[in-house]
Order: sequence, then structure tokens, then C-alpha cells
Amino acid sequence: MAIDIHVHPAFFAPINEDQEKEQRRHDELNLHKNGTAPLEHFFHKMDCAGIDMAVLLPEDYSSSMNGEVLVSNEEIRKLVDMAPERFIGFASVDPHDPKAAEKLEYAFTKLDLKGLKLHPSKQDFHPSDEYMNDIYDVCMKYNRPIIFHCGLSFEKGATTKNCHPLDFEQLAEERSDLRFSLAHFGWPWCREVAMLMLKYPNVYTDTGALYFDSAREFYEQMLTRDVPMTWIDRSLRHQVMFGTDDPRFEMIRMSAAIERLGFRESTLKLIKEGNAIDFLGYDPRGEDK
Amino acid sequence: MIEIHELKIMTSEYNQYFLISEDVRKIVKESKIRNGMVTVETRHTTTGICVNEGLECLESDIDEFLKRIIPEDHPYAHCHMLRDYGSTGGNPTGHLKSMITGNHCHFPLINGELITGSAQDIYFCEFDGPSQRTISVIIQGE
Repeated sequence: MAIDIHVHPAFFAPINEDQEKEQRRHDELNLHKNGTAPLEHFFHKMDCAGIDMAVLLPEDYSSSMNGEVLVSNEEIRKLVDMAPERFIGFASVDPHDPKAAEKLEYAFTKLDLKGLKLHPSKQDFHPSDEYMNDIYDVCMKYNRPIIFHCGLSFEKGATTKNCHPLDFEQLAEERSDLRFSLAHFGWPWCREVAMLMLKYPNVYTDTGALYFDSAREFYEQMLTRDVPMTWIDRSLRHQVMFGTDDPRFEMIRMSAAIERLGFRESTLKLIKEGNAIDFLGYDPRGEDK
Repeated sequence: MIEIHELKIMTSEYNQYFLISEDVRKIVKESKIRNGMVTVETRHTTTGICVNEGLECLESDIDEFLKRIIPEDHPYAHCHMLRDYGSTGGNPTGHLKSMITGNHCHFPLINGELITGSAQDIYFCEFDGPSQRTISVIIQGE
């Protein structure tokens, strides 16, 4: 089984019946000319990429969008219910919402979402801000991991503020039982992400980056030179997860490219499957962990 | 007089070939235009329309030929972030294969019948799938 830990379903057809909302999604996510995708199309893409399950990430930027949630937890639940054998749903809350922790608890307990996605720049918080503790407490109470956006973001209005890997060091130090991922390998600060993962086993990353060149060329740069492949293959092999940031990047070509880099077969299996299962804290094929 | 019809195809593979001759004939048969020209044109730049004999072995040869002359691993220029899209353009092979096959074909229409050679079939070629595709069937005449 292979898992894509980082998919944005903002343009899946079943949650895009409102054209004005779809346009706001294009604008806020800075993704254009991609249209909407029936689930059947997305499944074809997953099949071509050899991906069995995808983690779906919502976006709650409501405090900066007059209360509107760009992609809601309920929409994620709806998509998961349409294909529970292929989708794993995460939650999103806006940290500036006074009811953020309460809403997150609802997402975990009532909507059965399996983790939390946060974007420190887009949502304008620092990972070590005091008010984040209530959110982290809920995650730890329910054994749910967090995926933080890390590094460059192409979303509208999102700078790299609060998204440098070092912004997360204190959190890693203070909450060793909280599993969190610094997405996109923190690109371009991949070595800083490697540094944190080396010291903190609760810190993960994903491979959802393709900012230059072809998938093969970029992965060779990022995963064999920026971070030498031996570092991953020997020391970080339990903390790197395959992710694509679909639809911004190319699931099919990225999946093919990572297979050809030269990782040990057992490392590749961890990257594409085992590490995501450990990160999630349960096996999505049969909830036995 | 001109009519423009649409054929929709959801492809499921990265590269894939569809015989669409019968779909085109069905559209032509239902048209009010009896004499003129029929143009079949894809609306995409990483798909093709070509005319060839509808044989599995030829599909395989065409696919292998295109992959040989336009390999996936090559330092193409069209592999980078496209700011207008906010996403990576990494499908140069699709664009180039499309250029080789062409994006349209024409056939005469006489007394309501599409005039083709006995071995001629119309192929829609997917070169950057899976995707949702639209083909125009344009009938001009009277």
C-alpha cells in the first residue's frame, strides 16, 4: 500500500457546486486553470501513481476571510464518506478563532478526522505562540498528528514568515509526544528539517515539493544532494513521508521519480507507507494501532 | 451552415488511445448538414487527433515510436513553476507528442455520409492523462 500524505481536495467536484466559492479557492490558494475534478478522475490519477490512499487537507482561514472557511472539516468528512477506502481526512481550525480548540475536538470526536493541518504564515501565528497550546493539547489528548506548512508557500498572501524549520524547534523540544510534520521538506531549508528530524523523532516531513525542473531532477537535487540520500536512507528513514501537495504538483511523475532515486527498497516502503502509518498513529487499512 | 458538437472523454491512463470514428459518425448521422466537411479537433495541447488503421498492434507501435523519439527523461525547458497556474508545468512530452500527431483531421461529408478510406479510423490520443477531455466535431456545409 502507498499513501500520499499531502493532498488538497479544494477542487474536487463534489465540494464545488458553488462557482463563486470555487473562484475564491483559486484566488486564495493561487491555483489557476486547473478546473474541478470528479472523484473518478482523481482515482485514475492515484492508480497511475500507484497511490492507494490520500490524506485530504482542508483550509480554515476564517479569521481573515470574514468568517468563511475555504475548505471545511465537514467537506472533508463528506469526501471521506464517499470513498473511505481511499481517503483519510484531516481537520483545519483557525488558531485565531476563540473556539478553535473546541472546533478541533469536534472534528476529532464527531467527524472522526485523523489529524490537523495548519499554515503558520497564512494563518498568522507562530508555532510557539502561547494560545497554540490549547490546540496542541487537543491533538495530544486524541493522539492526532499535525501537518504544518513549512518553507515556501505559493498561496496568496503567504510569506515564509513563521514557516522556517527553526520556528518549530521549541515545539519539538517541549512536546516530544506530539507528532508533527514539517511539510514540503521545509524547502528550501531541507537541511534544517533534517537537523530537527535527527534530534527529534517526533518530527516528520513530506516530499511535497517540486519548485524547479522535472520531478526526477528536483527530487535528485532535494533528496540526494541538498539532503544526501544516505542521511535519509540511514538516519531519517522513519520520518520522511511521500507527499505531493496535489494539485499544485505532479503526483504521477513524483511517485515515479522517488522510486528511481536509489533508496533501499525497505526505505522506499517506509517513505511510501510505513512512516505515514506511524505518523497517523493507526493503520488506515484496519484501525489496529 | 456550421454545427459544433462536443465529445467528452475521461481518460484513465498517462498515455492512452481511443478510437472515436463511430462517435463521430453518430454525430454526423444526426446532423442536419448533408454535404460539406467534417473537422474533428481536440481542444487540448497535450492530446492528439490522428487518422490510422484501428489495430491494437499499430497502437502499440505508435505508442512505442512516440516514447522512443520523445523520452520522459530529457532536459526539456518546459519543466518549471508556471506562475499563471501556481503549479508546475512538467508535461513537455505531452505537448511534443501532440505536435507529432496533430490536433485535428478532416473528412468530406457527402449525402450524410462521412467519406473515409476502408482502413481509416480516427484516434483520440491522450498524452498527459488521466484527465477530462473535450473534442470538437465541426460540421460545415449545407
